[in-house]
Amino acid sequence: MTLINLENILFNIAFILCAASTAGYLLSLLVKKIKLAKISTWILSTAFCFLTVNLLFAVVNSCGLANLGSRHFLSLCAWSVSAAYLALQFKTKTRSLGAFISPFIFLFMIAAAGQDAGKTLLPENLQSWLTAAHMFLTITGESLFILASCAGAMFIIQNGLLKSKKLSKMSRLLPSLNDLDRINHICLLWGFPVLSAGVLAGMIFAEFSWQAGWLTDPKIIWTFAGWIIYGTLLHQRLAIGWRGYRMALVSCAAFVLLLLSYGSVRFCFSTLHNFI
Amino acid sequence: MIVLVGLNHKTASIAVREKIFAGCEEQKDLLGRLKSLDGVGEVLHLSTCNRIEIIAIVEEHDKAVKNIRDFVAVSGGLTEAQAASCFYEYCGEEAVRHIFRVASSLDSMVMGETQILGQVKDAYRQALAQYATGVVLNRLMHCSFRAAKRVRTETAIAVNPVSVSYAAVELAKKIFGSLDGKKILLIGAGEMAELTGMHLISNGAQSVTVANRTLAQAGLLAEKFHGEAVSLDALDAKLIEADIVISSTGAPDFIVTADMLKRIHHQRKNRLLFLIDIAVPRDIEPAASSMENVYLYNIDDLQDIVDENINVRKKEAIKAEMIVEEEVARYVNWQKELESVPTIVSLRNKAEEIVRAEMDKAAGWMQNLNKEDQEKVDNLVNSIVNKVLHAPVSVLKEESSDISSRDIVDAVRRLFRLD
Repeated sequence: MTLINLENILFNIAFILCAASTAGYLLSLLVKKIKLAKISTWILSTAFCFLTVNLLFAVVNSCGLANLGSRHFLSLCAWSVSAAYLALQFKTKTRSLGAFISPFIFLFMIAAAGQDAGKTLLPENLQSWLTAAHMFLTITGESLFILASCAGAMFIIQNGLLKSKKLSKMSRLLPSLNDLDRINHICLLWGFPVLSAGVLAGMIFAEFSWQAGWLTDPKIIWTFAGWIIYGTLLHQRLAIGWRGYRMALVSCAAFVLLLLSYGSVRFCFSTLHNFI
Repeated sequence: MIVLVGLNHKTASIAVREKIFAGCEEQKDLLGRLKSLDGVGEVLHLSTCNRIEIIAIVEEHDKAVKNIRDFVAVSGGLTEAQAASCFYEYCGEEAVRHIFRVASSLDSMVMGETQILGQVKDAYRQALAQYATGVVLNRLMHCSFRAAKRVRTETAIAVNPVSVSYAAVELAKKIFGSLDGKKILLIGAGEMAELTGMHLISNGAQSVTVANRTLAQAGLLAEKFHGEAVSLDALDAKLIEADIVISSTGAPDFIVTADMLKRIHHQRKNRLLFLIDIAVPRDIEPAASSMENVYLYNIDDLQDIVDENINVRKKEAIKAEMIVEEEVARYVNWQKELESVPTIVSLRNKAEEIVRAEMDKAAGWMQNLNKEDQEKVDNLVNSIVNKVLHAPVSVLKEESSDISSRDIVDAVRRLFRLD
């Protein structure tokens, strides 16, 4: 069996396990049983292990992160969201968060499965360790923002349930408001510097290889806009003391804005990032 | 036969229960004395604040029950008329069902409460230590623990709180997660506020401040919590620090207004605030509920949650009763199997006696055989006896759980002249 065959098998196993964990998490929300969410966390952890080995093989096969294929890029997105979520599980034990985050992971996996396994993501002139660092750090930072938004969405739901003065099954299933606010805080606190480092790596690469014109690229403008929004959010949290409901609401809005900007740039403009 | 004699909160007033409780407590070697009663074999004494029950294995039902009841009544100084109205008796399957329901907390004053199983286990441990139980009661108690465990894990009977103070604790946990280090502010020195505060403290809340119109009364309550007493003038400052506020004054107007909370909102740095208003008329302005990161519950809101939880428990109790029935059936089957055991033992003993007698008779000519042949004859005889007994013993075991088992046992005893 060749290394590429083994890599494909590992990806397929990770894909099936991701599908199973997503189904488990959603079912746990439907039948309101936290045990199902706990089992799904174990399944997702196993999927994460398979995906890690799969990506390690991919790095070995492609001789580094810079030459990764499109499939691996999207797998890396799924991997970093899973990593961020599972790391948070050790700290907060908020299993039901998985019901909100696992669909994102599974969507990345579906998108990855739809890509040609052999197709390289970056054109040859963009393959460098700086672009690899740029991609990895940006994806990790945005994964943390996805988590912050999911925690924000859950906060809004739990807040609504508690304000309606009913202690329903759903309210019992969802984590406490304080835990959700803490997740939101941790994700912003780590996500922003990581994204900043990613943006910085991209800027250095652009300055050296493209030299001029890259600052007016629509994708880069939107990324800066997103960076400023999250920076402002973090500032409001740390300096002004925003927390709880307002923070949840604004981080959800910021994420929706980020998604819309990505969609509009991807489909309506010509950009230097057209390969993604 | 299993019998259960007892009284509980439904059949006897607290005064009667107190007398019986004190009477039983005063008895030295209570279990020993119960066991020495005429017709009583194994015995167990369960005593909680709501019930006193004696479970026993007896030979003659009527006589033994009367002896137990008289013993308990005399211990508590009850007249015969009093005893007649407050004691209940169960025997056989009914007694098994009752003890399973008690252990599963289906017969408790607050259905689904968790203390009773521990109390039943303690009672069993005591009986075990004094060698008061035997095969039947040991099995009965272990089965009751299993039934209780199944009820606890397979139903949601004990999941949701059914008291206002516990409902407040559950809500606090849904807002703050862990209550460790949370600061409580009690406004007023009402009993309900005190109880809720105590539950919050036992769940990890850190400090208590009592604010009251009269500082002396605030001081008395604060002392209980090792907390701080302040007058109502310092309310604004204390509201800034607090995470949970419990208000229960008798004031005719609002003590905490929405404006007051808006004023301190910035100083609180938008921290979550849980307000519990158990006063009537209300102490906290309802408009506070619409404020960001503020969660206000009044006594009606808490009572609604409790009522809903009670309904959930009632629904779960139906499932729990089914589990109890399954476990009762299982235990009764085992007990019926036990009834056929003496007959099987007698049958085997009889067969062995016959074999021994016939072998003794044949000892004269058997000695002419060499040792190897003697062993072969022994094995042959034993094998024939085992094969002949195999069918009746199997039928006795298989049919023992059936209603007609007694007829079969009687038939075997007559056919083989076992009596």
